[in-house]
Amino acid sequence: MSASNVGTIIRKDFTEFARNRFFVFITLMVLVAWVAVFWFLPSSVDETVRIGITQTDLGGVLPAADGAEVAGLSLTSFPTEGELQAAVESGDDGIVAGIAFPPDFLTSLAGGTTPTVTLFVPAGLPAEQLAMVEGLIGEAAFGLAGVAPPVDPITEAVVLGTDRVGAQTSLQDQMRPLLLIMVLMVETFALSALIAVEIQERTVVAVLATPVRVVDFLAAKSIFGVGLAFTEVALLALLIGAFAVNAPAIIVILLLGAILVTGFGMIAGSYGRDFIGTLMVAMLFMIPLMIPAFGALFPGSSPVWITILPTYGMVEAVIGVTIDGDSWSQIAPALLMLAAWGLAAFAAGALILKRRVATL
Amino acid sequence: MNLKRAWYVFAREVRLSPRSPLVFFAIAMPLIMTFLISSVFGSLFDANPRLGIADDGSSKVTAAALQLDGVDAVVVSDVEALRTRVEANDFDAGLVIPADFDAELAAGGQPDLEFYVSGASLASNRIILSITTIDLVRDVAGEEPPVTVVVTPVGDEDFVPIGDRLLPTMVFYAVMIAALFLPAASLVDEREKRTLDAVLVTPTRMSDVLVGKGAFAVILAVLMGLATLALNNAFAGQFWTMTLILLIGSVMMALVGMALGLWARDITTMYTAVKAGGIFIFLPVIFVLFPGLPQWIPKLIPTYYFLMPIYDIAIGGQSFGDVLPELLVAVVFCLLLIPFVAWVARWSQRQLAMTV
Repeated sequence: MSASNVGTIIRKDFTEFARNRFFVFITLMVLVAWVAVFWFLPSSVDETVRIGITQTDLGGVLPAADGAEVAGLSLTSFPTEGELQAAVESGDDGIVAGIAFPPDFLTSLAGGTTPTVTLFVPAGLPAEQLAMVEGLIGEAAFGLAGVAPPVDPITEAVVLGTDRVGAQTSLQDQMRPLLLIMVLMVETFALSALIAVEIQERTVVAVLATPVRVVDFLAAKSIFGVGLAFTEVALLALLIGAFAVNAPAIIVILLLGAILVTGFGMIAGSYGRDFIGTLMVAMLFMIPLMIPAFGALFPGSSPVWITILPTYGMVEAVIGVTIDGDSWSQIAPALLMLAAWGLAAFAAGALILKRRVATL
Repeated sequence: MNLKRAWYVFAREVRLSPRSPLVFFAIAMPLIMTFLISSVFGSLFDANPRLGIADDGSSKVTAAALQLDGVDAVVVSDVEALRTRVEANDFDAGLVIPADFDAELAAGGQPDLEFYVSGASLASNRIILSITTIDLVRDVAGEEPPVTVVVTPVGDEDFVPIGDRLLPTMVFYAVMIAALFLPAASLVDEREKRTLDAVLVTPTRMSDVLVGKGAFAVILAVLMGLATLALNNAFAGQFWTMTLILLIGSVMMALVGMALGLWARDITTMYTAVKAGGIFIFLPVIFVLFPGLPQWIPKLIPTYYFLMPIYDIAIGGQSFGDVLPELLVAVVFCLLLIPFVAWVARWSQRQLAMTV
């Protein structure tokens, strides 16, 4: 392999890439758009259900009836039923429902009669929240009537795992791996398009007619592909704060991710007959590769079939570092999986491209 | 323009379509997008609290929990599996119901009830599931609350759930890919391979090519739009009105696509322009998803005038007469685009002539 030949091909590729100023400008603009979307997303999680009430002397039976907040529930007092209704209607202060206890609520219960409580709910209130508010009213009445609940899951709950109340993972943090992977996927297509053009226009044949050998060509494409993907994803990572915790680990993850997508880019580029054909083949890789990142948006563990997808290790490692603050040893299994997939995809890509070039 | 020659171009597009990856792309992508958007994002923005139950004795509490509206209750095999899945945040909370739970409850006792909470569950979900559990147990114990609750709905009666607000997104992709992307890519491809030059040395004129390609794209887009509406059960009993709106929207998108295909010097430039311009024409969809945003902004975007009528009819229950003003604006946009496309076509032909 000749370093000089490799360098020449890389310079040629870079010149071709940079020559289309429109392409470069739009690529940067899309990057900026993704960054804007990221910072537009909520950076915190609102875990509280806010309910308005018209009575303030129910502190003995209703948690937080006097304005204090218990985990997950906040009660706000309103002087009149009209003001309560207006607050629910406007949705100001996040009030999702209003409980209008009648003025004679306590005396009615004490007298053994059944009082009527008006519950103001906005259109679209989720069924589970409506059921909870109705349950809350019932418990208030039971409490005042001196009927204790037969079970007490509120105070006897056992928390399993790290308790994240008050420190939940925001949508912004959840979206970080997805954005990084999306940019890498776009680079899969960009690289495959560059390779496909070389094959369609047979410029690779012209290049190989010079002292350049196939191994030089493959090395140049690999270095350019990894460099292009890594530069763009690293820039995005910088702009969305992915380097804030354990930057060296993030660099390694992104580099392995760039190697992975370069491998798939070479495969797609080798098989694509034209632009749309290349796009189709690239999409066949892009869709499954993005699934682990989408899966990370949902709570809970991923199904087994997702855990064997090539980008699963990358998502796990990024989440581990940026959200859980994992150490190198903790992300080692995910990194090893990503590295194994990266090497496999890279080797397959280089082999397929080599064979494709040989057939020209 | 000669209709007969335009028909030949159209027939050629139809004949070549089974072999065209572009057409496959235009058909497959809206279906994939419909699946992804409705199944993935619908449940993402509108997630229910999740309750796992390990029940040793077929309790009535379990049966009632499985019927709950707004809570995703699942029965698991044993307590260990429940603990594992709660810890992994597969459930927000887990309920362990012992074998003699119902009997002890019926006897007026206070039976043991283990309640596990996932550390990663939201505090709001914890309180919802806790109170719901108490409510369920009281129901099974036959305890009626000594209070009557009258539910009074207030506020915006036009509230639309997030799942319904995703409809324009799906229709947008169906129409955009077939009507805009297809003719644009096809024109660029023909120019790159110089088959367009070959066609234009025959009596066929550029206008015939554009009408033939445009008609094929519009028909495919309307069919894909109808398929998307059918998949989402969104015709609202107005099939022909929907077809007309899709036709107008598809013509608008096809005109934009043809202008783009004539302007872009290569497929990479075209793809990049779609990537960038897509954000602009997609804007009305974002404003439907987030109704709190100022609603005058999407009215500046032409796609608003065919996406909103579809949304208003399918979700808002409006009639053809209600959406007619918006449709007329869409038609005006189409009429304005025709001379623009003709101008770009003339410019493109001059460019072709210079490169021959």
